[in-house]
Amino acid sequence: MDDRSRVGVRRTYERIGDHFSKTREFAWPEVESFVDDADGAGTALDVGCGNGRHAELLADVADRVLGLDASRTLLCEAQDRIGPRVSLLQGDATRLPLRADSVDLAIYVATLHHLPTAADRRASLDELARVLRPDGRALVSAWSTAHDRFDAPADAETGFDTTVDWTLPGGETVPRFYHIYAPAEFERDVAASGLTRRSMELSSGNCYAVVEPERKVPY
Amino acid sequence: MKEDLMDIICCPLDKHDLDLEVEERDDEEILSGQLVCTECGEVFPIEDGIPNLLPPDMRDEAPA
Repeated sequence: MDDRSRVGVRRTYERIGDHFSKTREFAWPEVESFVDDADGAGTALDVGCGNGRHAELLADVADRVLGLDASRTLLCEAQDRIGPRVSLLQGDATRLPLRADSVDLAIYVATLHHLPTAADRRASLDELARVLRPDGRALVSAWSTAHDRFDAPADAETGFDTTVDWTLPGGETVPRFYHIYAPAEFERDVAASGLTRRSMELSSGNCYAVVEPERKVPY
Repeated sequence: MKEDLMDIICCPLDKHDLDLEVEERDDEEILSGQLVCTECGEVFPIEDGIPNLLPPDMRDEAPA
C-alpha cells in the first residue's frame, strides 16, 4: 500500500477509523483552552475533524460548525457522535472546498503531520489562511521531535518522515505516515505561509501555534 | 447536508460556485444528490447526507 500519499493516508483511516475513533474519546486540553478563550464565533471549522471530539467543543461557542475530514469512515463516526450540531464535509486539507474569508474560528490539530510532502503541508496552511476572515483565528498543531518517543534532538532544524503502526483489535498492524516536525521547522512553515502566529508553544510533545491570517491587502 | 451550506462551500479545485442537484431529501436534510462546479463542471456526490468534496485524485476510483 502506498501510504506516502494523501490518498494513502485517507485509505489508512478508512481501514482503522472505527477502532481509532473509540480511542479518541476525549478532547485535548490545549484545544479546550483555545476554544474557551474564543468568546463566540459565527462560523467555526475543524480541519481533520476525525470523530468530531473537537468539533463538539466548537459547537458550544459558534453559531455554525463545519467538520472536514478526508476519511468517510471517520465522518460516519462523527455523524453518530455529534449528529446535526456539525455540518460534515469530506475534503482534502490542501484544497479546502470553502470560500475565502468565511471562517471566524478554526482548529487544525493532529492533521498537518499526516500530509506526506512539505509542499502539501505548506499548501494546507495557505488554504487555512485563505478561508479565515481577516479577524479570524486558528489553532494549528503537529507532532514534534520534542515528544519522548523520538530520539531526534528537539533543537534540530528539520524533522523527519516516519510510519507509526496502528494495531487493530485482531493484532494486525497498519502503518500510518507521519512527518514529525522539529519545532524550528514548524515555526518556519507557519511563517512562510499566509498565516501569522500570535503565540507558539510545545505541549505534550506537540507544537501548537495560535495563528491569524496575514493582513490581507485590499485591491 | 443542509441547503444553507451552499453559501460557504465551493469547488475545491478552482473555488468557483457549486450548483446543487438534489436526489433525496428528508425535511431540511439533503441525503443524496450532487454538487456541480459552475466553472469546471466537476461533479461532487452527496452520499448519506455528507458531501464528498474530495478532488477526483483523492477518491476511491483514483489510481494509487
